[in-house]
Amino acid sequence: MSTMIEGTGVIAQYGSLGAATRAVEKLRADGFEDLEVFSPIPAPQLEEAMGIHGSPVRRWALIGGITGCVTGLLLTSLTSLAYPLITQGKPIVSIQPFIVIMFELTILLTGIFALLGMLVHGRLPTLRLSPHYRKAFSEDRYGVYVGAEPHRRAEAESAVRATEPLEMEASG
Amino acid sequence: MATPETDARLAAEEAPHLTLLDANEDISRPISAPAWRFWFLLGVVGTIILWAGVAWVVQIRDGLGVTGINNPVFWGVYIATFVFWVGIAHSGTLISAILYLFRSGWRTTINRAAEAMTIFAVMTAGLFPLIHLGRVWYFYWLVPYPSQRMIWPNFKSPLVWDLFAIGTYFTISLIFWYTGLIPDLAVLRDKMTGWKSKLYGVFALGWTGSVKEWRHYRRAYLYMAGIATPLVLSVHSVVSWDFAMGIVPGWHSTIFAPYFVAGAIFSGVALVITIMIPLRWAFGLHEYITEYHFENMAKLLLLTSLIVGYSYAVEYFIAWYSADPIEMASFRWRAVGAYTLPFWIMVFCNCVVPVTLWFKKVRTSLPALMVVTILVNIGMWYERFVIIVTSLAHEFVPASWGNYTPTWVELSILAGSFAWFFFWFLLFSKTLPTISIAEVKEHLAHEHHD
Repeated sequence: MSTMIEGTGVIAQYGSLGAATRAVEKLRADGFEDLEVFSPIPAPQLEEAMGIHGSPVRRWALIGGITGCVTGLLLTSLTSLAYPLITQGKPIVSIQPFIVIMFELTILLTGIFALLGMLVHGRLPTLRLSPHYRKAFSEDRYGVYVGAEPHRRAEAESAVRATEPLEMEASG
Repeated sequence: MATPETDARLAAEEAPHLTLLDANEDISRPISAPAWRFWFLLGVVGTIILWAGVAWVVQIRDGLGVTGINNPVFWGVYIATFVFWVGIAHSGTLISAILYLFRSGWRTTINRAAEAMTIFAVMTAGLFPLIHLGRVWYFYWLVPYPSQRMIWPNFKSPLVWDLFAIGTYFTISLIFWYTGLIPDLAVLRDKMTGWKSKLYGVFALGWTGSVKEWRHYRRAYLYMAGIATPLVLSVHSVVSWDFAMGIVPGWHSTIFAPYFVAGAIFSGVALVITIMIPLRWAFGLHEYITEYHFENMAKLLLLTSLIVGYSYAVEYFIAWYSADPIEMASFRWRAVGAYTLPFWIMVFCNCVVPVTLWFKKVRTSLPALMVVTILVNIGMWYERFVIIVTSLAHEFVPASWGNYTPTWVELSILAGSFAWFFFWFLLFSKTLPTISIAEVKEHLAHEHHD
């Protein structure tokens, strides 16, 4: 790995979560922010190393839940008022039995919205996989892609090399 | 409750030499061209399904008169089987969601199959209200839609609640299961070649495991687990209210919701064990599903058995304490009347047999667990039968008493429901990873973490 590799960015592969996390921390400390990190497992450590906190999916879930609850209330109340026939001796709008419908719709839309939020923010579904993705990343390797301006290209390569990856290659 | 660290350690101690790549290979190995045994089994369940289909066609042609349900027992085997399958569906979400929130690592190797069971069990359960309708083509009357006459469903009716509860449960279970599958589908996409790779690729949605994807995935999965937990408790509560909201002696009781939920988890865990034992053997997954997992499930079975046994006792106590002669007569008749045998099968299978699980030898012996869990499921089917039939057969006025015996049509459809369930499970076991690859790898990675 002594000669310079062609391309504008560098993809490095690591064999452990620890090594990948340390590499990300070091690369960010060296001033490389254009990183794309791949992991075969969910790894909060990598998120922390990349300086990512939380996810907007929580807002999707909340909005879904509120929408579901309100929909449940409106659906049951308005349809009962549209045909105001007293059944089971209960008031036309009887909140207690309607709570069951409101509850179920709250859960239903929270789940659906959480899924939608995950897809929207994760940019899924997509037909084209990231050009920096390698099949090894769904096996046992952790991948770090470092994008660099042409003038920092050599610097990026040596910074990646210093993190002692198992493999490294150029990527466009 | 064990910490994630102890769970990871325990899991890794049992599989000390496994690597992340092993997990990929071992768990996806069963997804290959099936052997003749698979086709044979598929043929057997297919034949039973066809037979049940014939029975259903006969019922549609001749009407509900071909069944044993008649005045006063209008709910029979169909509704008992419906409740049975909804109950089975509960273990999947319990294992996936509740144990996920408690960070119980031992769920890792069983959650996928248990979730699949949930979906197939709801698909099975959902058929029964339709079959029970008789004129199945009118099922959409339950669905709220603006009809020509602007008549909407009666939202005060537990049957409408049931539609919402089961519909929500099916949808949420499906998206929870599918979300968990996405990273594994990407593994299969990368492992396979040709059209198989393309097919798995379509369902993997272009997943690459980038940290940005995981970031949103982890939150979405957590929220789904968070909402699935109250949902799982609500679904069987709502099913229990189908009964408890009526004034029928033997049904009209406030303990029904927790009693049904405990029973659902009890029967669901039992079926998970019954299925996982042959699955582990057939696919050689001994290093992933270990005695430790089975013992934990057996403990859960023992706990829920005690709750169910306690509920049986409390039902009798309430009947006695109410000093209501009708209620007391109904419960006395349940134990010593025309349905004595189903009642005592229920008590024996659900309260006596699980007592053996106090012994570690039984909890760690797979043949013993197989026998116990099959008996528990027989007992739990009888529990639903006893609750439904004995209560309706022996209501307030002696003039309205009457017994019920299922006919060949109902029993054929009951057998068909098991075949239908196993048909889907067999297809699942050969096309998707029966263990969550990503979660197993997560545990292995934490063990090898440097």
